[in-house]
Amino acid sequence: MARGSKDGPMVRPDSGLYGRRIMVRFENVGMRYGPGPEVLRDVTFQLDPGSFTFLTGPSGAGKSTLLKLMYLAEKPSRGLITLFGNDLATSKRSAFPPLRRRIGVVFQDFRLLAHMSAFDNVALPLRLAGAKPDDYTQDVEELLNWVGLGDRLNAVPPTLSGGEQQRVAIARAVVARPDLLLADEPTGNVDADIGQRLLRLFGELNRLGTTVLIATHDRSLIERSSARELRLVDGRLVELRQPRA
Amino acid sequence: MTARILPREKGAAPLDVVIGVMAFLATLALGASLLAQRQAESWRAGLADRITVQILLPEHETLGRTMENETEAALQILRSTDGITDVTAMSQKDAMTLVQPWLGADAMVKDLPLPQLIDAGIQPGANMNIASLTARIKAVAPDSNVDDHSHWIGRLQSLANTVIWAAYAVLALIAIATASAVSFATRAGLEAHHDIVELLHGMGAKSGFIARAFEWHYFVSTLAAAAAGAGVAALAFLLAGGLEFAGVEPVPFLPPLGLHPGELAWLLAVPVVSGLIAWATARLSVLAALREIY
Repeated sequence: MARGSKDGPMVRPDSGLYGRRIMVRFENVGMRYGPGPEVLRDVTFQLDPGSFTFLTGPSGAGKSTLLKLMYLAEKPSRGLITLFGNDLATSKRSAFPPLRRRIGVVFQDFRLLAHMSAFDNVALPLRLAGAKPDDYTQDVEELLNWVGLGDRLNAVPPTLSGGEQQRVAIARAVVARPDLLLADEPTGNVDADIGQRLLRLFGELNRLGTTVLIATHDRSLIERSSARELRLVDGRLVELRQPRA
Repeated sequence: MTARILPREKGAAPLDVVIGVMAFLATLALGASLLAQRQAESWRAGLADRITVQILLPEHETLGRTMENETEAALQILRSTDGITDVTAMSQKDAMTLVQPWLGADAMVKDLPLPQLIDAGIQPGANMNIASLTARIKAVAPDSNVDDHSHWIGRLQSLANTVIWAAYAVLALIAIATASAVSFATRAGLEAHHDIVELLHGMGAKSGFIARAFEWHYFVSTLAAAAAGAGVAALAFLLAGGLEFAGVEPVPFLPPLGLHPGELAWLLAVPVVSGLIAWATARLSVLAALREIY
């Protein structure tokens, strides 16, 4: 997997330079869309560097909204969010693109670019980071091979099945080895074997230092893991399980 | 080769047709202003640096005054004046040719007492005192008048300037309409590709990266559409020039419609400027739209 960008060498958030900085911190965060009711209420939690967390909760509990706040797609109605040591409320807009490039997101609806091949979709984060095709072609091909799409490099998303599209979306989210990986129902469209394979990919990435948060309904996925579990109920966050050693 | 960020659009979009038509009109307006400029210059060159002396038939020939005597005296004054380069007395036959289009050529017209015309050239840049010259000629030919064409040149110049400025105004209006259409289309394009913009923005693409994808897209498509429109207009000017070259009578009262090669080169400015307007508008629209996203 590719690494680094033209913004300078990437440093792990838990390395000496970052000290013991927290990867993500929410303090009394509330969120409402327009004049509607609050979707999230007084959400307070933090993700430590290199942690692996499941986010669960019923449909409509606010999981996707919480993820949107984390990948800077929405601004909270109230409360404080700290990302990679940056207080978002006081950060300039120009500071956001480099922060966003440190986050990999697997969207529930994949959000692949329909006119681009699987290869070009996966390579997109590396292009945005300023890498040249010669630098990333091999990495992208290896990653697509790893997720079982080595023979579909040039296929465009409309010709791929739901499961194949999901694997392209996951490959795109992890190709730049982000510091923070957020995944919204990443195993929703794949069979159990592929689901386990993808979970191993997330685990491997986590062992290399990436902080992972997976929003899922899949209890079997959670039960097979010893990771921390946060649960959203009616917009409030409760911690169900601490990570097992 | 890296993939395009924006999908390629199939076929000519309505915007391309609008831009092509507007480029056609802009090219016609630009060509018309070039023709008007050239015509104004030829009018000025044709009349400037020349004077015409008109000797009327004396009312009382009995006093020994004849038109021939007064013409000869006026010719001598003109020839002896510093700054006059050439002097020609127009024959009666030539004078008849001049009035023929208005009065016809029958016997009655031939009996008309036509004045004697004298055409004289002035050395370019010579500081000629027309009032003094007029007074000296009037002394030998009281029923004469001296015309240095300044009145006509002024009126023709202001007519040509009116035509040129009208063409510039049409050009400016078309440029504003083109910029508005491109701006509207860019915003519509942004709306249509909102998912792409949002995804790129969310993945950490800098505003400049996203704007570049749009501005290049609209620069190329506008350049192509405007080149097609300007090409048709240039063809029309070439055709008009070809007809004149082939001896087909030009439109009465209008200057020759064919453009010279140097003037045709100016028409290239229409697609280039259209493309640049599209480029700038697309960039500003995209950056403004991105500022509205968190």
